[in-house]
Amino acid sequence: MKIGAMFGDVVGSLFKKPVTERYPKVRQDPPERFRGCLDWSPDKCTGCGICAMDCPANAIEMIVIDKKEKRFVLQYHVDRCTFCAQCIHSCNHGCLTMRADLWEMAALDKQSYTKWFGKAGDLEYVLAEAA
Amino acid sequence: MQESKIDKKFTVPIGPQHPALKEPAFFSLNVEGEIVTNAYVRLGYAHRGVERAAEERNWVQTQYLLERICGICSHIHSTAYCLGVEKLAGIEAPPRAQAIRILVAELERIHSHLLWLGVASHEAGFDTLFMYSWRDRETVMDILEGLTGNRVNYSANLLGGVKYDIDNAQADNISKGLEFLQERLIYYLEIVTSDALFLKRTRDIGGMTRNQAEVLGAVGPTARASNVVRDIRVEAPYSAYNQFPVSIVLESKGDLEARFVVRVKEMLESCHLINRILDNLPGGELAARMKRRISPGEAVVRVEAPRGELFYFIKSNGTDKPERIKVRTPTICNMTSVLKLAIGSQLADIPMILAGIDPCFSCNDRSVRINNRSSKTSLWTWEELRKYGIRYYYGDHH
Amino acid sequence: MEIIINIFNLLIFPGGLFLLTAGMFFEWADRKLLSQYQNRIGPRWFQPLADAVKLLANEEVIPDGSNPTLYIVLPIVALAGCLTAALYVPIAGFPPVYNFPGDLIVTIYLLSLLTLCIGLAGANTINRFSLIGATRTLTQLFSYEAPFLLALLGPALAAGSWQISEIIAYTGQRWLLITQPLGFFVALVGLMGKLELPPFDAPEAETEIVAGALTEYSGRGLALFRLGKGVEMVVGLTLIAAFYLGGVSNPLSFLLKTLSLLLVIAGLQALLARLRIDQTVGLWWRYGILLVLVQWLFMIGGRMVL
Repeated sequence: MKIGAMFGDVVGSLFKKPVTERYPKVRQDPPERFRGCLDWSPDKCTGCGICAMDCPANAIEMIVIDKKEKRFVLQYHVDRCTFCAQCIHSCNHGCLTMRADLWEMAALDKQSYTKWFGKAGDLEYVLAEAA
Repeated sequence: MQESKIDKKFTVPIGPQHPALKEPAFFSLNVEGEIVTNAYVRLGYAHRGVERAAEERNWVQTQYLLERICGICSHIHSTAYCLGVEKLAGIEAPPRAQAIRILVAELERIHSHLLWLGVASHEAGFDTLFMYSWRDRETVMDILEGLTGNRVNYSANLLGGVKYDIDNAQADNISKGLEFLQERLIYYLEIVTSDALFLKRTRDIGGMTRNQAEVLGAVGPTARASNVVRDIRVEAPYSAYNQFPVSIVLESKGDLEARFVVRVKEMLESCHLINRILDNLPGGELAARMKRRISPGEAVVRVEAPRGELFYFIKSNGTDKPERIKVRTPTICNMTSVLKLAIGSQLADIPMILAGIDPCFSCNDRSVRINNRSSKTSLWTWEELRKYGIRYYYGDHH
Repeated sequence: MEIIINIFNLLIFPGGLFLLTAGMFFEWADRKLLSQYQNRIGPRWFQPLADAVKLLANEEVIPDGSNPTLYIVLPIVALAGCLTAALYVPIAGFPPVYNFPGDLIVTIYLLSLLTLCIGLAGANTINRFSLIGATRTLTQLFSYEAPFLLALLGPALAAGSWQISEIIAYTGQRWLLITQPLGFFVALVGLMGKLELPPFDAPEAETEIVAGALTEYSGRGLALFRLGKGVEMVVGLTLIAAFYLGGVSNPLSFLLKTLSLLLVIAGLQALLARLRIDQTVGLWWRYGILLVLVQWLFMIGGRMVL
């Protein structure tokens, strides 16, 4: 039995730098597999919609402009997403990825929490329809 | 010291909000001076209707719902669910996926026990151990973030396998982190068994004999500290524990010090197990193909969560949504032991005794149906529930 | 002219404003040192000031079942006691502002006034946690007070007087740390008990009884109690530095000596776990008294031999 068993650690810490990360002045890069914001590339999409069906938070909505021409637009609700990455593994064609560089997504307005993905022409078409 | 102005039936309420509790629960203790004479518990403040919500989502979505029942044992909930659904569908996950599943489960066990070590020492007033153990917990969380992409709620499982693979770089990362952790864990074991003031708060306090532990139905490290051999990984090995067996950690005194020792030694055992898995990882693919509709049937799964035995009952009726999922978590088994041990102990020891079972109140608020033979069961609508609540609290004249 | 000097002494320096600022500085230094021992960064320099300003802006809620006059008056009396005690000790290295024979006893009594007021404040409400906290505060007062008093009277015995200015004239020439080590140790640990620092923080154990005796306090009352605790820390450290560490003759030596004492106190805080109240009482009445009596035996024996 000793009094003050943590003596070595405690006194040693007087001479070491504190381990606290000084966020946000100093930022560490997240690892590669980090699950940040979703990203969709429309090239390989076949419009099966499994990603939208399997999302536990109903954060993905697929808008079909023309199924035969493979023109789809994805509406992604960032505020509903739980970043579980199920959609990435449900998709059989590898259209979805999670970006490791966009994860500080605080915003002051509601509009920035809905992201639209698609080819340039399709996006304009859908947004014009919506307006 | 007895003060005459404190009455005999002096009730101290702990909760629902209290700095000793990390989650809401209500304990009502009758105190005479500093000795507790009676204890009463009331739970249910963190009930979210998870089992009912699971019936509205399809099999794939339910996994993420169940994962969020608890923050620190989330992976083991998801593993239990996936094992149950795979049993119903008659599919077995490939061996590499099973090994990775239990690797993440053991990493989670280390993470959970380190968190508990910090919280329990904070309850004892030993803030330094709290700060240091949570600093070392960051190592485990960084390993898990590199492996799965998130620090809690790893979502590493898929129905039929796992999402993420372990390549050489990952394995190196894990080994380095574990080396650092093993040194620190051996140091913590020494502190927990030799620091004089800390032992004054933990030795011979809250002691539970082996008989009491068996009668009260304690599970997990709480039971193992009282020499009860109860560990699902050893008694009924599931998943890859058949290839990578675990040796059980037992202590015989049953007091708080024994619980500390059991958990720290379990962490060391987990480190050894992870190193063994990394050396002998089987090859193969990561996930098997699962149908979207699961054939009808019932499945029962028992796994070893960091707190004890976790029990899942899954019932399917052939559609793409589960019919009934029942979750029985280990904390609710250990709660009666707290009430038993509280009587006769000092008021200052109550937070320590409560922390000794590693309570996870958000895990343990599930619905319990009480069988009343005379009345028939029925489903209440929101309006009926509201009216009942008003009548209960304010009387019938409302 | 006298009157102006007196008012300046009481309100600005070395009483009043200077003392409150010094109290906040020492509270910050204690928290910063504690966090350095725990390998983390602590609060920034203005944290105690920010706490005080914010608390003064809070609404003060007087709970039902308590005596409103007592509720409001007790924090004021506590702070006043500590500020008055500082007038007789050599704050900031300058000689004490007022002195009269026997003022050591008066100073120690005024320092205990804070603890008594906290105990009364806790007993004033019908909140269970406050009552238990008040009981524990008063129990702890009974346990550490006797050894602490005897440890502070050791230098008085060696100097042959009960007046602080004469005692520090004697101790200014020799370091009593070397000739009365046990007394120094008991005085230092007794100061930790008086200030309710870990391991003696059972009266305000956050995880067991929320905030102890001060649970029902918010706003101005809580701010005054906290400022009082800061001032008590300054006065206590000055007394021990003046008696055992060879006197405080100028501001620089005052700062160095009190900060080195604070280094040791913060280290003890980081190293030791909290004791239960019955363990605290047992510890003081067994080992505290024993150590200080042994020290007195040696002192008296030494005097008779030499």
